[in-house]
Amino acid sequence: MIVSGQVHGGLAQGIGQALLEGCGYDENGQLLTGSFMDYAMPRASDVPFYSVDHSCQTPCTHNPLGVKGCGEAGAIGSPPSVVNAVVDALRRGGHDVTHVDMPLSPSRVWSAMQG
Amino acid sequence: MYTFDIERPSTVGDAVKLLSDSTESQPLGGGQTLIPTLKQRLAMPDRLVSLGGITEIQGISQDDGGALCIGGGVTHADVAAGAGAYAALAGLAGKIGDPAVRNRGTIGGSLANNDPSACYPSAVLASGATVVTNTREIAADDFFDGLFTTALEEGEIITEVRFAVPQKAAYMKFEQPASRFALVGVFVAKYADGVRVAVTGASEGGVFRWAEAEAALSTNFAASALDGLSLDGSGMISDLHGSGDYRAHLVAVMTRRAVEAA
Repeated sequence: MIVSGQVHGGLAQGIGQALLEGCGYDENGQLLTGSFMDYAMPRASDVPFYSVDHSCQTPCTHNPLGVKGCGEAGAIGSPPSVVNAVVDALRRGGHDVTHVDMPLSPSRVWSAMQG
Repeated sequence: MYTFDIERPSTVGDAVKLLSDSTESQPLGGGQTLIPTLKQRLAMPDRLVSLGGITEIQGISQDDGGALCIGGGVTHADVAAGAGAYAALAGLAGKIGDPAVRNRGTIGGSLANNDPSACYPSAVLASGATVVTNTREIAADDFFDGLFTTALEEGEIITEVRFAVPQKAAYMKFEQPASRFALVGVFVAKYADGVRVAVTGASEGGVFRWAEAEAALSTNFAASALDGLSLDGSGMISDLHGSGDYRAHLVAVMTRRAVEAA
């Protein structure tokens, strides 16, 4: 359960990075995202239900128990997965898009669609 | 927060008296804007006059003409639960902020503050509602006067808001990702004598009516009637969360969705 929870949290962190979280500054260097009214932190309603698959275990060979650390493991893979999925969807929708800067807010995705 | 005194009168008359004497006083509705403002030391009134103990601005009822009358001190949660006669309005109230905001914030407080991203102003304007105060009745078309500005005089208190119940109505909100305020919200209401469309969150001038959409929908109340209609992005709010052009685009999308949902 601890490992699953770590993966859930890591995924929320990565999805948040991909879709929501970002610091914005104005032309004078003033931080525009100084509170949670403007800094979009992922909340429970922003992420889907997960099923975590433990079936492909490869025991570690460097310790007697074969155990590995698992700290927020989902945080590494989720941003590129989400961003690539969005770019793929845009391309399938007929938009010539190869890259959108994170976070992929509705506004940025819409702008990318305008060409 | 700076120190202040607080009074809790039990009648509108006493509240008006407290607000009109020489002390620097501010009325306190549900405090969902004022209290955070005080916490950040952006305001320093000598005295707050809480309207929370005034029973005469509580309650939801229907008058003889069928209009829904909501007391100025009624919370969003109570409108959500008690304004079933006007389902689109109850639905709007049930989606403002979070439960804590809905259980404290009031319709009178929201309208008096006239935040450009608040939900309620769009419902009031689209319904052609009447804002009743301790001294007069103000038509919705005369009430909103730009960002955070209304026709209210100093010390004037909203006692009731009266809504004629439309034949069909719906509110569609596109939420700003962080605050969940309306990045754009559109309220569409169809009455026997025409359709009214009010937009919040989008314009630098605050809530406004979209006249072209109203004319098209009054002729044919269908999403297809909006084909080809668009708004200019200049004059729309442009910030971290969306450009003026994006907001103008969202107004058209949300209007279409509101018509389909009505």
